[in-house]
Amino acid sequence: MNYTIHFNLIWKYVPDLLQGAVLSFQIAILAFLGGMIIGLVGASIKIFGGGVLRGAVHAYVSFFMNTPQLVQIYFFFFALPQAGILLSPYQAVLVGMTLNAGAYLTEIQRAGFLSVHKAELEAAETLGMSLPQTIWYVIFPHICKVLFPPLSNHYIIMTLGTSMAAIFGVEELTGRAFNVNAITFRSIEVFIVTAGIYVGITILASAILVFAGRWLFRVKGKVF
Amino acid sequence: MKHWLGKILVLPLALSLVLVLGMGLGQARSLDQIISAGVLRVGVNPTLPPLGLFNEKNEIVGFDTEFAAEIAKKLGVKLEIVKVGSPDRIPFVATDKIDFVMGAMTRTSERAKTIDFTAPVHTEIMGVLTTQAKPYKNWKDLNTSEVSFVQVRGTTAVPFLEKNLPKAKVMLLDNYPDVIRALAQGRADAMIDVLDFMKIHMDTHKQTKWKILDTPITVYYCCLGVSKGNQSLKDWLNVAIFELHRDGVIDGIWEKWFYGPMLHKIKWSDWF
Repeated sequence: MNYTIHFNLIWKYVPDLLQGAVLSFQIAILAFLGGMIIGLVGASIKIFGGGVLRGAVHAYVSFFMNTPQLVQIYFFFFALPQAGILLSPYQAVLVGMTLNAGAYLTEIQRAGFLSVHKAELEAAETLGMSLPQTIWYVIFPHICKVLFPPLSNHYIIMTLGTSMAAIFGVEELTGRAFNVNAITFRSIEVFIVTAGIYVGITILASAILVFAGRWLFRVKGKVF
Repeated sequence: MKHWLGKILVLPLALSLVLVLGMGLGQARSLDQIISAGVLRVGVNPTLPPLGLFNEKNEIVGFDTEFAAEIAKKLGVKLEIVKVGSPDRIPFVATDKIDFVMGAMTRTSERAKTIDFTAPVHTEIMGVLTTQAKPYKNWKDLNTSEVSFVQVRGTTAVPFLEKNLPKAKVMLLDNYPDVIRALAQGRADAMIDVLDFMKIHMDTHKQTKWKILDTPITVYYCCLGVSKGNQSLKDWLNVAIFELHRDGVIDGIWEKWFYGPMLHKIKWSDWF
């Protein structure tokens, strides 16, 4: 064997990688929260909205679900400047990931809307609730509970998807791993450590989601 | 039930990772084994024109490919070009999927802990590419927080910037076309990279008024990367590289692909 694994040659870069992990975590959380809001509005329009609005949401969802996320971020980063809009790498990635998440979360939440019993909606109507009130007080708490597992899954996928940001000059975990690799050439060690950190941040995210679920919506879930 | 199922799944995954690593790290082929096999496998990065690029038939061509063909000819074996990228090129050598790797392998003492370098094949002169609108005259003017650089992630210019122009801001993108576009769009003020390569990139954005600062910064020496300790192959390659320099073969290939002589020529010596 001509390659000896030396983890000790890359230990000094680990704090730098961990800083990148914090940024990955942050991008995922912001994009997910933004996507949840877009998704709630989008799902409401898809279920209750009228012709033109519904068509617009439909077009948005099909566009973002049927094109690769990478291409979408490329568009925000390299095509918008031709129209005079210069987004920073961080902004472009965040806008791209939020809009992409919004499309998927619209579809996931729409399924949740449909799972609400008609009787509950009729009860809300009887109580004189307006449509936004019904969505906020009756449907949203309901779908949070029903949709907790698929929403958590999507969040984990998004956390791993933040690695794309490296291509656009955001110094998150993957980007920093490439930097360390270029300096040391210790590819095997660097990417094993990076994979380990990703496992760490997804486990941390799952744990937070499970506890948030128990506390907010009384959903029973396990980290493992 | 979910929890113990998860743990059971993790175990074989971890085991297979260990196995893959253990099996993958095969013994690098010695010179004799390459001659017996009759094939020399060379890693070329096709995203570094004109060192490596795809032609219209989707074959990898360029300086590196032609140089590798000369090496294979001297060895009397067939040439197999293997596509490598920046993050995977060292694992390719380490796991014996290729015999040596090319693609502007700048030698540094840090990297030489991991792989062995042959004698240098070509050089790279580092310089500053900026636009005529910018006032900079000398690269040392660029060490202020008002200057932002855009660089290709994983190139040797990045540690150079951190060390020598620490006040400047740096944005790292994935590849040369993206970096040049970012510069043309005004996302950053300048880039430090290989002057030999810049002409090709400047031509892709003709409407931009480019400027190259005429103070070259430093010279990097690019070698072939050989698996650590593969002395028999490295010794032979050094002799072959010497002959290719002495006979002007390397200069000839360079001028064909770069439309001009190497900016800093390698001085071969009697002691190669």
